[in-house]
Amino acid sequence: MPQHIKRLISVFAIFIVLFLVMRQVLKPSSFGKLGHFRADAIYENTLKPMHYTIADSCTKCHKSVRAEKDKGFHKRLKCEVCHGPGLKHSLFAEQFKGKELPDSLKLYKPGERKDCGVCHQKNAARIKIQFDTINTTMVHQIDLAEHNPPDLKANEPANCIDCHNPHQP
Amino acid sequence: MEDHLQNLYEVLSKVEGYVYPNEIELNWSILIVLYPYITGLVAGAFILASLERIFKIKVLKPTYGIALLTAFSFMLVATMPLVSHLGKPLRAYEIMITPHSSSAMAIFGFVYLWYLMVVLFLEIWFDYRRDMVIWGNESKGVKRFLYKLLSLWTTDISPKAVALDDRIGYIVTVIGIPSAFLLHGYVGFIFGSIKANPWWSTVLMPVIFLFSAMVSGIALVMLIYIVLTKVRKQLIDMECLDTIAKYLFYILVIDFALEGLDQIHRIYVAEESFEALHKLVFGKLFYTLFIYQGLLGTVVPLLTLGTLQFYKPKASIRKIIYIILPVLVLMGIFFMRWNVVIGGQLFSKSFYGYTTFKTGLIGMEGYLMAATWLIIPFLILSFLLWLLPPWNKIETSHE
Repeated sequence: MPQHIKRLISVFAIFIVLFLVMRQVLKPSSFGKLGHFRADAIYENTLKPMHYTIADSCTKCHKSVRAEKDKGFHKRLKCEVCHGPGLKHSLFAEQFKGKELPDSLKLYKPGERKDCGVCHQKNAARIKIQFDTINTTMVHQIDLAEHNPPDLKANEPANCIDCHNPHQP
Repeated sequence: MEDHLQNLYEVLSKVEGYVYPNEIELNWSILIVLYPYITGLVAGAFILASLERIFKIKVLKPTYGIALLTAFSFMLVATMPLVSHLGKPLRAYEIMITPHSSSAMAIFGFVYLWYLMVVLFLEIWFDYRRDMVIWGNESKGVKRFLYKLLSLWTTDISPKAVALDDRIGYIVTVIGIPSAFLLHGYVGFIFGSIKANPWWSTVLMPVIFLFSAMVSGIALVMLIYIVLTKVRKQLIDMECLDTIAKYLFYILVIDFALEGLDQIHRIYVAEESFEALHKLVFGKLFYTLFIYQGLLGTVVPLLTLGTLQFYKPKASIRKIIYIILPVLVLMGIFFMRWNVVIGGQLFSKSFYGYTTFKTGLIGMEGYLMAATWLIIPFLILSFLLWLLPPWNKIETSHE
């Protein structure tokens, strides 16, 4: 075999050995434990702070609201859809029973037109169907500019919740 | 909690109609546009080089070395847009040391190493070995050391050894052609196999990527050849340029036909996604698809090159055409990648809404970062052309 081919093969052999050594040394220690990925990635994700809770943890204290909501169009919505992430609130608010809640534990109380508009503002891309049963999965579309517009002269906001009970609209 | 909602309102202002929450932000940005673009240039340049070597098209000789070195320079940078997009450079090697055949992404390590090390590196090494030995003996200092190192301190330049180099180089090129097809077909495969996305999911995707890759690679080498010859104050070999233009024309015709076929098929079968895609194409992608990719990047070059096949204006005019056309083609293929990568993420998989793509000038995913990864291959190429000038090589016939 000519000299230069021998050298080339040696270089490739060195490269392959280096590659295998590198693979042993550099491969993350948890790689392959659960499959062809780094198992620690799952553990690292569990370390991220949580913000949301489960619906049942709201029902623990707010039974009547839940009962009311379960009869209306909003029965499938989690409380946090409108009130924002509530894990902290659900864990610590009970300690302040009868007292003023600190701001960090307060949840958002939506009540303005823009809040309901997030889902209900008329949007051509949403499917329009007749709303006659409580079991519909579609969202009622309202033209906020036309539907009971606020009287600007009288400075009256005309919020949706003036007429509709958000828990049972 | 007001912040929480304020943020939501801002996010929703980017959106038209109805989109799922995870579709508002585009996860694959301009750097992911660059990745198929750069690998395409590699595959295309390599295929142009192999035209000379395997298919024995001797007129292309002046571009052979340039095409190989171009392919190599761009290959070295091909992964960098991905690395900077992922933002974890310290983990970037993991994809290389843990390849796996079960996922198109995880097999990347195999495909890349095979093409870079076995095909490009070996072909260039065997092609330049004799010259490196000679140049190593003639030069001094760092350059001498580099030549010695690159030729692995070999000295044998007997006709027998050189003939063997040539033979092995030929075999490597023969293996290289399907490998180049594999490399770029693979990149198209990643998109084509995402069945949840109707803009991507087509079996034609690897083939379209492949032909557009050849188009862009050939155009790039054509441009580099003209610029280099001008810089070196040499005479441009018009016969060579005419031949490259001819091949560019052929492959552009195939590319255009394939992309046309893909679109006609979409229009004819008109699946449930059709209306959403129709709006996308005539709305957010109108300029990038119809004007930049279609008109300027494909139709104009196609008509011009087609005309040149039976009507040849004088050399000085052809030269100007051969400078403008590759630029148009390169821009067109860039926007082809853009339309695939960005376009595929602009519409909601609910088919009821669209989002917006905005990227800044600076930042890890900005335009400057993208420009950097496009400029670096040219710097590498300049270095390689200084170290291994193809025009100083001893003529070999590649028989």
